Amino acid sequence: MAPDRAVAAQARPEQEFFCFRVGDLRLGVPSENVLEVFRAGLLTPLPRTPSFIMGVTGHRGEVLPVVDLLRFLSKGEARIGPRTRLFVGITGSIVAGVVADTVLGLRRIPVADILPPPLGGDAAAEHLLGVVPGASPQDSINLLNFSKLLQTARQRAVAR
Amino acid sequence: MSLDTPNEKPASKARAARKAPAAKAAGTPPAQQPAALKLFTDTLLQVLAGNLNARVPRELVGAGGDEMALLLNQVLDNLSASEHRKQVAAQEIDQALDALINLVREGDLSQWNTTTEDPQLGPLLEGFGKVIETLRTFVREINEAALRLSSSANQVLAASTQHETSSTEQAAAIHETTATMEELKHASAQIAENAGSVARVAEETLGAARAGRGAIGEFIQAMQQIRSDGVAVADSIAKLSKRVERIGTVVEVIDEIADRSDLLALNAALEGSRAGEAGKGFSIVAAEMRRLAENVLDSTKEIKNLITEIREATAAAAGAAEASKSATESGEKLGAVAAQAVEGILAGVQETSDAARVINLATQQQRTATEQVVASMAEIEDVTRQTTQASKQATGAAAELTQLAARLAELIKRFKAD
Repeated sequence: MAPDRAVAAQARPEQEFFCFRVGDLRLGVPSENVLEVFRAGLLTPLPRTPSFIMGVTGHRGEVLPVVDLLRFLSKGEARIGPRTRLFVGITGSIVAGVVADTVLGLRRIPVADILPPPLGGDAAAEHLLGVVPGASPQDSINLLNFSKLLQTARQRAVAR
Repeated sequence: MSLDTPNEKPASKARAARKAPAAKAAGTPPAQQPAALKLFTDTLLQVLAGNLNARVPRELVGAGGDEMALLLNQVLDNLSASEHRKQVAAQEIDQALDALINLVREGDLSQWNTTTEDPQLGPLLEGFGKVIETLRTFVREINEAALRLSSSANQVLAASTQHETSSTEQAAAIHETTATMEELKHASAQIAENAGSVARVAEETLGAARAGRGAIGEFIQAMQQIRSDGVAVADSIAKLSKRVERIGTVVEVIDEIADRSDLLALNAALEGSRAGEAGKGFSIVAAEMRRLAENVLDSTKEIKNLITEIREATAAAAGAAEASKSATESGEKLGAVAAQAVEGILAGVQETSDAARVINLATQQQRTATEQVVASMAEIEDVTRQTTQASKQATGAAAELTQLAARLAELIKRFKAD
């Protein structure tokens, strides 16, 4: 499979992103880091965890920690509603549920269109791969370096 | 005559004395006459001269002529007595005549009390006395009757005058009454006219009130129709509300299904993505499915909005239907009240109409009666006029009668009875 994707990328290098919205943020995660999407069910809060860990939830017989990216990126606070989605993010051995208000969908984005993250930005900038500008500033999508983000989160969570 | 007699006596004596020598000289030879005879002669001469008291002095006559002297003296006594009687009778007759003359001249019946000792005159004077007594009684009675007549005539005059006055007053009163009756006739005609117009107006009002009653009946019917329509509308609204709720449930189900489809399509796309180039078509189909699911979600959202709007609208409609129901109910009640009021008006107007008709009839009868009264009054006035005239005549006659009575009383007063 990988060779095929490489060929396609060579012809017109693209990368597929799982794009979603949480709060006012429009974010993209590389699709290979996403396993599945499901509805946010019952969350069990965990004591002695960082604030961005909203709790744990059960999914297909496994217990998943649920991450609030807004809190993690210091952009506010996520709310769980009836339509709130959780997607299962994975990198290496780290598996976590991530809160998304709305899933925008899978998007194949030409690599040439990806702009580098703005210099001298806030703390969030260090987790960004780049920015895909849209028709308006609101339509632009921040692409996350999800592996790094999850590792950092893991480290922070364990550090406590 | 009787009074003159004593006065004449000396003259007669003187004459007799003067005659005596003449008779002596002519009749008898003075030488042959003895002294006794001369005494007789002298005495007779004296008697002839009127001295009836003369008597032959018997002491002087002597024996021869004494008897003669006695007889002569007796004769002379008789003569003297008869003369005296005659004189007394004449005197009494004179008195009676005087009394009669006085009676006739003065009408004084009270002075009659002449009496006599003369047996011949006695019955005559007694008869006169009786007649005069009868006259006296008559005069007394007539006087009394005249007095009574006068007072009665006065009373009659007073009564007649009063009658005349009252008759005149009566005539005036009757005239006034006639005028009043005339006015009353006019007034009753006016009343009849007014009552007629009242009856006419009442008739019109009756018609209008009947029309109003009909209109109110229609109004009540319309109100009932509106109420039943409103009830039907409320039922329909309730049904609509239920259907809409049902639609809401169905839409929820659809929404749920669309949401699950969305998730499924998303996961399918992820699966396709993981399959690489081989899963590309699958991913496209999944994306398409996802778009469809999103369209459905949009639609259901719209439907939900619509349902919310419908719910609000039906709630408002239900409220309006309820308000309309209570409004129509109060309208019906008002209509019933109005109907009752109109019924009252109808009854009142009916009564008014009847009463006006009755008044009209009564005033017409009254007018007829008044006319009859006026006619009767005219007759009474005529009669009263005649009565007045008659009482005037009666007054005149009574006045005359009074005058006559006064005159009679005056006349009768001339005769003194007492």
